[in-house]
Amino acid sequence: MVEGVWLWLTLLAIGSTTILTRGSFVISGEGARLPPALQRALRYAPAAALSALIMPDLLLDAGAFDPANPKLAAGVVVALAAVRSRNPWLPFIGGMCVLLVLRKGFGW
Amino acid sequence: MNESFKRGAREGFRLMLPMSVGLLPWAIVTGVAMRSTGLSAAESIGMNLIVYAGTAQLGTLPLIAAGAPLWLIFVTALVLNLRFVIFSAALAPAFHGASWSRRLLSGYLLVDGLFVLCADRLLRNDDPHWRWGFYVAPAMLCWSMWQLGGLAGVLGAEIFPKDWSLEFMTTIALMVMLVPMVKQRAMLVAALVGGLGAVLLRGLPLRLGVIAGIAVGIAAGFAAEHWAERRRRTW
Repeated sequence: MVEGVWLWLTLLAIGSTTILTRGSFVISGEGARLPPALQRALRYAPAAALSALIMPDLLLDAGAFDPANPKLAAGVVVALAAVRSRNPWLPFIGGMCVLLVLRKGFGW
Repeated sequence: MNESFKRGAREGFRLMLPMSVGLLPWAIVTGVAMRSTGLSAAESIGMNLIVYAGTAQLGTLPLIAAGAPLWLIFVTALVLNLRFVIFSAALAPAFHGASWSRRLLSGYLLVDGLFVLCADRLLRNDDPHWRWGFYVAPAMLCWSMWQLGGLAGVLGAEIFPKDWSLEFMTTIALMVMLVPMVKQRAMLVAALVGGLGAVLLRGLPLRLGVIAGIAVGIAAGFAAEHWAERRRRTW
């Protein structure tokens, strides 16, 4: 465990990556305009990035590919809830319920 | 205060309100995760204020727990945050002519949901006052929700049972953001390829698989758009 002053230094180091990445082009401003083709390509960045964070959690179990796992089943429920319902809490409640029932109720 | 600033702020605030509520569970989960890693309440609140990036926070907690060297934690956080360079580059034209301190604050506040919801209209509007309102109001709303939710998680960490798989709330929050975006076919291609790419490339060192997956996903989305356009033209 990183502790004390070192922990605060570590937090500052992690925080500096927030400013470095998010601030990069916004802070340097107009001198950093990207070519239009690149700008268009970058419109796909958020969808690709979110999915690149989501899918490994849904499809991997302890680092190995395993499509038959309770998190994927819960993920399907989350996706359905998010598509069908406008209630912002439903995906959270539905997904967690399915995951907990499968894991605790069925020991999956 | 300027009229068009207020108008932009109102529109941005209203646009962000539903999604910012969705941040709460995610912030609570992160608060609980920091406390269960072994950070004190003050250190957890400090992390939320200094870092203000859920993915980087959740991703570096195991390294902090393991006592990893500072440089490794720094590089991992940088990699996890790298997607923001892409958002930052895309948004930069909207801050043309803004003061240095305003751009620094804007950088700190640039979270995923803000980019997803506001980028398009920010880049199409010519009024700098409206743009500033339309950016800073929803940005501060997200920041407040994140800090409040995080505080609730930090202070309430003890009441949640440890074996409830609460970390899965992070993935649910990311999915809630993704679903409305993939109604367009090229966007769906980018998401599918990006996600599967990250799964297949997970063996790369330093969690670079996520970055590689994103890059492949962007390329696939771009290619799908081109392909659809060409087909439209030949028909």
